[in-house]
Amino acid sequence: MDGLLTAATAGLSAGGAYAILGVCAVFTYRLVAVVNFTGAAIGATGAFAMVALIEAGMAQFPAIVLGVLAGTLTATAIGVVMTRWFSGATASTKAAVTAALLVGMIAVGLRLTGGQDAHLFPAVAPGSAFRFAGVEVTNAGVLTVILAVVFTFAAETFLARTRTGLRLRALSERPMAAELMGIPVRRLAITVWMLTGAMTTVALIIIAPQRSPNFASMSLLVVPALAAALIGAFSSFRAALLGGLLIGIVEGLASGIDRFSQYRGAVPFIVILAVLLWSQRGARWDEAR
Amino acid sequence: MKHASFGSSLAIVLSVAAIGGLSLTLLSSYWIFLLTAVFVVGIALQSLGIVAGRTGMISLCQMSFAGVGAWTTGYLNVAGFPGGLPVWILIGGLAAVPVGVAIGLPALRLRGINLAIVTLGFAAAFDTVLATITFPGQTSFNQVARPALFDSDEGYFLFVLVVYAVIAVALEVVSRTRLGAAWLAVRHSERAAAAVGVSVPGAKLSAFAISAFIAGISGGLLAGYLGTLVSDNFSMMQSLALFAVATMTGAHYVHGSIAGGVLIALFPELMRRLNLPQDLGAVVFALGAVQALSTGESMAEALMRLFRRLFPRAVEAPPLLDEASLPKPAVAETSASALDVSSLTVRYGSVIALDKVDITIPQRTVVGLVGPNGAGKSTLVDAVAGFLPTYEGSARLAGAPLDGLSPRRRARRGLRRTWQTTRIAPELDVGQYVQLASGGVSAHELDALLAWLECPAASTPIAFVDAGTRRLLDIAGAIAARPQVLLLDEPAAGQSYAEAVKLGQRIAEIPSLFGSAVLLIEHDMDIVRQACSTVTVLDFGRVIASGPPQEVLDLPAVRKAYMGVDGEAEAAA
Repeated sequence: MDGLLTAATAGLSAGGAYAILGVCAVFTYRLVAVVNFTGAAIGATGAFAMVALIEAGMAQFPAIVLGVLAGTLTATAIGVVMTRWFSGATASTKAAVTAALLVGMIAVGLRLTGGQDAHLFPAVAPGSAFRFAGVEVTNAGVLTVILAVVFTFAAETFLARTRTGLRLRALSERPMAAELMGIPVRRLAITVWMLTGAMTTVALIIIAPQRSPNFASMSLLVVPALAAALIGAFSSFRAALLGGLLIGIVEGLASGIDRFSQYRGAVPFIVILAVLLWSQRGARWDEAR
Repeated sequence: MKHASFGSSLAIVLSVAAIGGLSLTLLSSYWIFLLTAVFVVGIALQSLGIVAGRTGMISLCQMSFAGVGAWTTGYLNVAGFPGGLPVWILIGGLAAVPVGVAIGLPALRLRGINLAIVTLGFAAAFDTVLATITFPGQTSFNQVARPALFDSDEGYFLFVLVVYAVIAVALEVVSRTRLGAAWLAVRHSERAAAAVGVSVPGAKLSAFAISAFIAGISGGLLAGYLGTLVSDNFSMMQSLALFAVATMTGAHYVHGSIAGGVLIALFPELMRRLNLPQDLGAVVFALGAVQALSTGESMAEALMRLFRRLFPRAVEAPPLLDEASLPKPAVAETSASALDVSSLTVRYGSVIALDKVDITIPQRTVVGLVGPNGAGKSTLVDAVAGFLPTYEGSARLAGAPLDGLSPRRRARRGLRRTWQTTRIAPELDVGQYVQLASGGVSAHELDALLAWLECPAASTPIAFVDAGTRRLLDIAGAIAARPQVLLLDEPAAGQSYAEAVKLGQRIAEIPSLFGSAVLLIEHDMDIVRQACSTVTVLDFGRVIASGPPQEVLDLPAVRKAYMGVDGEAEAAA
């Protein structure tokens, strides 16, 4: 039992990161109507920029700040592509665009970071926060979970209570109408991209030390992220938060059991299958079809 | 086999034979070996083209399907299964089918994006599984044995070429069948596909099954090509690159799949010779795909457009009218009325769109449904045709209740509708669309019907047909099915006055010629007077009048609802 609890808490920091990425995916979808396959790749770009700066001799804190800035800039670039050429495209086309961009980003990322060469990612929050029922809970785990919760509620409040949030919701539902009403559509959309770029970079910087530190595998964290977003049906931040945590913990549990540990990468897929089979019970004809 | 299908199949066979002959006489073994990869990848691209290009779904796990085929082939090789490589490859392809169906299932009722997520998730899961179980014979360096006849690199090139040609011809033939047309219809509009009786889940699942089968075959061919495989051959990155290239070149066209194969297989070689990093290819593919998505046109489509501009195809003259060949009525005349709608109520939240509406359409008559915008006319069509999640009241087709049936079942039972905006897939030609919608009429019947409605010739691509004429095709397709009841939603909108008058005459003739009863929604009162035996007037979701057109349309209440003119005030003035 203790072993399982240890394994589950080990999945906590991953779960927190998935939750942040999942909430970012929901945020992007609700505000700019894009299912973003490059989400984790954007974060990976920032994380690797940070490592490069540290390897060049920079201190950790300024390197983190500049890394987050690099992730933000990458996200902005993608945001510019999406708003300039694809603002009127269907959701399916936009998803295809980000999937295609992911291929290019991974290729460039692998080349610049030296493929499978190991980079040493410094732990942002090393050490143990507290012991719970005899199990160490790491600082990284606590930090990601807190960040995920804060971001979830910040996103919810922002959308529900602020004027800009209201405008952004109008933007995603009827971009043309929003534009005609004088809402600065493109500027707001780019802001959304910048914000999610910064958040995903933070998430990836925190969990990078526990992952195989190569650009491709970090970019593919988009799979658990989208699985989490799917649990929230791309609309509920709280459900995405819980979904991300759940996936992380189940992965942790799976790696705690010898027979399954090698297959833990299949956990998000199983979650996706289950969620879709469940959620489409009552699917009906909608305008988009 | 139809003429057009035979022609393009022959063109495929001849060009593949020419490529094979030229390559074998002119090229060294080294280039033959590289060129083999082009066609192996070409087959994988064709498999992706079925799902992505034809059916309009995003699949990001095509190389995982190929991996299932390759793994099976490797397993049968190690196990010494009888029959040799061709049999193993075939079994490998079949082994990928259930996997493809299982992936397609969760996305049946939801559109593209969810499917993209499922497939990416599967690719990631397959990566981990494959890395763990490894390929059969991988650690013992057990090479996959090629057939004796095709053992040399030249021989295997021929073998791959033959498989490529067989698959390309098979897909060409399928694309001209009802199934191929159904894929395109689903890609363009799932609602419209269901409304002509196409099973949307069936079309999607069959696309996934056939796609997985062909991808599995390409995996098996790759096993024979390389001898030993590693899991990296089928990694998620490969699937993503395949998707980008398919989007860029247009993998559902033969030339698109070969161009894509050339890009994937030969680009690294080109980069190597130029002393450039080989992974530059992925960047080019990504940019190419984004470019294709932004223009909405793949390389293959751009090439075809250019070709058409250089060699414009003579547009066939519209067929001449031969009334004797028109399709005969297929509806048995029963005593019951064709359609009975009773106390139909539809609510959107607190808004009542339809309030206890009763309409009866007797057999073989045209009934008009008029009313100002927002009166609920189209809502009524949506409800009766099965496109609304819920409604109260009931609809009966020739006495049999329709409630609870899917749009497709209603269409199959003999209830057809047309749309205010045309939803015909532009990749089809006129004849293919009418055949898809009708479920099959003879060529004579088709020509006669097209002439009767003054539509273009059957061979005309829909992309060349203007929007107004496409709406006529919509009607032609529905008539050709000779349904019990035909719901026409503003058929004359977008037609000139002269055309509208002619259309009105045709609509009036539908019951006697084809046996169908018609519910005609129309704003043009001349057409309504001309075609309808009775008229029902809706206003704010309620029936305010019903009866013969000349009486109903002159009622003060109707005039007021329609024109905002108060009849009495007008009389007083």
